[in-house]
Amino acid sequence: MRLEMGSFPVTDIVFGPATRYDAGRLTVDREAVLAAVKQDPRIATAELEIARPGESVRIWPVRDVIEPRVKVEGPGVCYPGICGRDIATVGRGRTHRLAGMGVVEVSSVNWHDAGGDFVETHLDMSGPYSEMYPYHRLINLCLVVEPDRTLNEEVKNYAVHKAALTVSDQLGEAVRSLTPPEREIFELTPVDPSLPRVVYIWCVHSPQAMSGSPSAFCTATYGLTQLTPPWYLHPNEILDGALTGPYRTAFAMSWTVANNPLFLDLYRRHGRDWNFLGVISLRTEWTTQTEKQLMANQTAKLAQQLGAQGAVVTWDAGGNEFIEVVRSIQACERLGIKTVFLTSEDDATDGAPTMLEPLPEADAIVSTSFFKNVTLAVPETPGVARVIGLPTKTVRRGSTIGLHGGVDGVALPTSGPLPPPWRYDDHYGFGSLSCIE
Amino acid sequence: MISAIYNFALTTGANRVIRGARIEHVCGDPTLSPEKDYAFGMRIVTAALETLTVAVPGPTLFDPMAPGKEAAHAS
Repeated sequence: MRLEMGSFPVTDIVFGPATRYDAGRLTVDREAVLAAVKQDPRIATAELEIARPGESVRIWPVRDVIEPRVKVEGPGVCYPGICGRDIATVGRGRTHRLAGMGVVEVSSVNWHDAGGDFVETHLDMSGPYSEMYPYHRLINLCLVVEPDRTLNEEVKNYAVHKAALTVSDQLGEAVRSLTPPEREIFELTPVDPSLPRVVYIWCVHSPQAMSGSPSAFCTATYGLTQLTPPWYLHPNEILDGALTGPYRTAFAMSWTVANNPLFLDLYRRHGRDWNFLGVISLRTEWTTQTEKQLMANQTAKLAQQLGAQGAVVTWDAGGNEFIEVVRSIQACERLGIKTVFLTSEDDATDGAPTMLEPLPEADAIVSTSFFKNVTLAVPETPGVARVIGLPTKTVRRGSTIGLHGGVDGVALPTSGPLPPPWRYDDHYGFGSLSCIE
Repeated sequence: MISAIYNFALTTGANRVIRGARIEHVCGDPTLSPEKDYAFGMRIVTAALETLTVAVPGPTLFDPMAPGKEAAHAS
């Protein structure tokens, strides 16, 4: 399976009479793009706004950031399966991407109506908290979109994400027939058999247990989010967006999954430093001990059948999902597969372990540290000059200090000072911020 | 401690761990009829209370769903 990735760096976005790409400058026909979005009768309102790095801009509520990708040659479509898109197996041929930009899905639509999960990410394009996320370096085209409020939550989710993908597709079409300034070939070529064989165990949350619905939204595999046994994916499928979707934490949105630096480095060093075997994608938040252990066993068995000698493991959640993740590590180690685990840490208040279940087999861990606003008493985010999205933010789980210390369930002006993000879990190692000693 | 992830409860040092149904409904099963759901929950809660009468040497698992348990509680 060979994939050629053509990259079109975006250095500026402007609105203009026709959507086109020219030497880094992306002109967007706002009316035509919005007309395409509004063809879906489930969409009530839609607007487009541009946010540039360094501007005093806050975007709220952010459900997803998407990198426009378009399939130029080969079967299927980029970001397959989700919102009713073609499910043909992707990863072959040629794909074009608009690099250095994001389509931001801005909407009040919640993930599901079962409670406990709510959209809480806001993005600052400048200021001390902009550095937390990789998106502040992107030129962001924001789709502020609201669906027909009489729809149920699942249909609302479907409609607003489909709208964001429609914008992404419209931009992708602008570079379909152009010659990409940058090209990269991705292929799992036969390599020196003495190189160590390494698999990536990429654990992705399923909202099924929390929502009570098998089709609730989050990072999807060809559109599916329900609890399923481990998938074996060719890395080219990931490059074409087979793993994608809006997400409740900012570090596993579509853009972050598509640009996961750990995954890309594993792939680019194939044949040089190791033999990359591909991706085992493990769904997490199974809800019995038996299921969690079964998934761990099956993940390790699959890795062994692939001939893995080593495995790199990441996850994108917090809480009880840790059990199937760490037990997959344990099961791999017991089969002789060496593992490295990339993870953030838990709150060690009152002497609690920084890992929910610290098993001795998980003895090679790269920590992306610990951040919880309440425990660390981090200061507020300062106010901004312009807001894209909703004028108020209902703050939940606010920090305990500052102007809004301890607020919960209170609506604050989005443009003013806001409590910092509740947690910061850099799932894939994007960040370069250092810690507070 | 009644827990659906009972191995984890054992490693955290709970002395009497009772196997629950699922994380989202530890002492119930929404797929059952209200009467059967009630009986199912009672089976788990009763088993949990009974463990308080048993001396344990350390973290110990009790499984109300184990074969034979139902007959014992019916008497």
